[in-house]
Amino acid sequence: MELTTEELRTQQGSIEKTPADEIIIEEISRNHKLLHRHKLSQAQIHIGRDYHNDIILADPHICPSHLSLEYIDGNWVIADNQTVNGSFIENIKEKKHPANNHVVCDGDVITLGKSQLRIFFTNHPVAPTVAFSPFESFINLMRHPIALLLSIAIFSLIAAGVFYLNTPKEVNFSQLLVPTITMAVGFALWPAGVALVSHLSKHDARVMAQLGISFAFFNLMWLGDFLGEIAAFNSASDAIMPIVAILISAALAYSLFWLNGYIGFHMSAKRRNIVAASITILLFGGSYLVQYSNKAEFNARPEYDATLMMPSFLLAPSSTTDKFIADSGKLFDKTSKKAKQK
Amino acid sequence: MKAFFTLVFILLSSHSYALEEAEQLFNQLKPSLYQIKLIDKASGEKSSIGSGFQISSDGIIATNYHVISSYALHPNKYRIEYFDYQGNKGNLSLQSVDVINDLALVRRDVEHEMQFFELSQNTPHKGEQLFSLGNPHDLGMIVVPGTYNGLKKESFNERIHFTGSINSGMSGGPVVNKSAQVVGVNVATSGNSIGFLVPHDKLVNLFEAYLNTAPQSISEQMTEQLITSQNKLISTILDSPWQAKKLGEKAIIPIIDVPFVRCWGDSNADKADALILTAVANCSLDENTYISSQFFTGTMEIEFRTMQAKDIGASKFYRLYQQQISHAGAGNRANKENITQYQCHHDLVMPDNQAINNKTIFCTRAYKKFPDLFDILYLSASIDKENQALVSHFTIAGINKPNALAFTRQFMEAVLWN
Repeated sequence: MELTTEELRTQQGSIEKTPADEIIIEEISRNHKLLHRHKLSQAQIHIGRDYHNDIILADPHICPSHLSLEYIDGNWVIADNQTVNGSFIENIKEKKHPANNHVVCDGDVITLGKSQLRIFFTNHPVAPTVAFSPFESFINLMRHPIALLLSIAIFSLIAAGVFYLNTPKEVNFSQLLVPTITMAVGFALWPAGVALVSHLSKHDARVMAQLGISFAFFNLMWLGDFLGEIAAFNSASDAIMPIVAILISAALAYSLFWLNGYIGFHMSAKRRNIVAASITILLFGGSYLVQYSNKAEFNARPEYDATLMMPSFLLAPSSTTDKFIADSGKLFDKTSKKAKQK
Repeated sequence: MKAFFTLVFILLSSHSYALEEAEQLFNQLKPSLYQIKLIDKASGEKSSIGSGFQISSDGIIATNYHVISSYALHPNKYRIEYFDYQGNKGNLSLQSVDVINDLALVRRDVEHEMQFFELSQNTPHKGEQLFSLGNPHDLGMIVVPGTYNGLKKESFNERIHFTGSINSGMSGGPVVNKSAQVVGVNVATSGNSIGFLVPHDKLVNLFEAYLNTAPQSISEQMTEQLITSQNKLISTILDSPWQAKKLGEKAIIPIIDVPFVRCWGDSNADKADALILTAVANCSLDENTYISSQFFTGTMEIEFRTMQAKDIGASKFYRLYQQQISHAGAGNRANKENITQYQCHHDLVMPDNQAINNKTIFCTRAYKKFPDLFDILYLSASIDKENQALVSHFTIAGINKPNALAFTRQFMEAVLWN
């Protein structure tokens, strides 16, 4: 019988339309990370350890001819070849059960030996395309070698400056160099660690991006500290500026952790927010907890803000003696109340 | 030769006469001398010891406040016990205290009128021989001869300077003249035969006030005495001249011209490698008031410090300057039982004379057992010169609010740049 081109096309079209004659089998790790992906179009697929199989698995707990998938009447059916360790099906609808004679559904996971296979049909829906976040261009800028070098240089200069200012003796260049390098290397451990973890979890390491982003934020945090100090210097005890300064540094830390997660790991936006928030809370809450637990129940020494800065940072007008005496007078009533409470 | 023998004989006899006199005095007075012990009720053991002497026929015994201070503060934990010269013991009850002059009156039960010490009517003259009695280190009653050397000049609360060794345990014991009249009470020593006594008139006042009206509550009596004393101290200080004095090159500081505030100075001008030239003047009250071994009050210290940057920039100078002022602490010992924690206020302050601009910190903590009394701490750091700084600082213990604020105000206006 001769077929016209038109008919042939229709026939082929109808063949293509059959949903199940092409099947995707993914080898996945135990925490469902993709290892290999196979797209097959034959009606019978053999899976096992020996080399006749269509999919060859190296797991020693798998039999040489472990199982086969057969396309019968528009369905894929599993046949377990009386294997030593068996084959099992897991999906969202049912509990884990033996796989023999099971009709495969889209998204089923077959456990054989210690390995797992996930099966998709070609019509399996995929997640919508993730658009580049607006941070992408910022990340690309910061991971550029020149930008990275610049941020590390700024970081080191500030570290050296702080060290110089806090040493009550004269210091020379080499004495500054050692603590500066130690500090820069110490701070580089965080982005390096994040990159290592993302590499180990089968993601891109992206070391340069992690370093670039982290040092940019470390520099922003120095700036935040500095602004906080100016605020503390220029304000009286009851001002809210110091609290604002703490909130700013917490926000900066949150942004850093968020971007670390964005660069290093593929995860949903919600999950990334939770992870970044948890690390921030751990960091700030943890340091507060350490301070709180180290605090003696009773302190005979006064705790006061001793921030002093050069006259050029003096922005606020000074109070009069009268106002200071009046404000200080209020402390007597406060402590008297405390004394009565015992 | 004969004359020489006579001289030696006279010297020998006068020496033996003094010894005889001391012995005679001691034998005459010992029935009215006591060792005083504070017994911890729970353990039944003594927790502190001192001496005391009877000043009335009906059993009033004088001693130091610090001997029985634990009982005054925790009457349920302790009891006071006396031991007389025959080894008899009995309980004592606390009647009245003078915490400022470190005196206390306790009473023993007496069955019949007893012998007692007579309090002198007049003060001794310089060089007069006196005899201190007491029981040092629980070794037994002794008599120590010594001389009267006038009142200690630098003390706000009068103390007799007695040359003779007073040791711990003799606290509260009497010091008598040759006629066996009490002229003072042993209270402190600074070693090397320098002893200090409470003058007898303080005891006379306390005893007369007690005979007039016995105090209702010891703690109220103490509060009243502490408040009166700080009123007297601060008003004396505020009424005395405050002399403007130069410190370093540019600073003007007040030196309070009263004998009981003594000043000392220091600088690092000899240190060639110092980054900051520093000059310090320290003034303080030379005494304090004992409340308990964990709690002293009545102290006052004033410190001024000028700093001049030598080879460093303003940013480093200010960073080191900040480290200098970060660790101010109280001037008196005190613990949780007696005081609250400090509450502090800080601000940028320019005094009315506009001659300096400061960052100023004021802290106070309240006394838990003595209402309306506080410890205060003041710290002010100049912030108007690039390479120079002036720190002014004081602490006063046991002061009330009006006095604290009046002193602070006067102090703030007296520190400035030349």
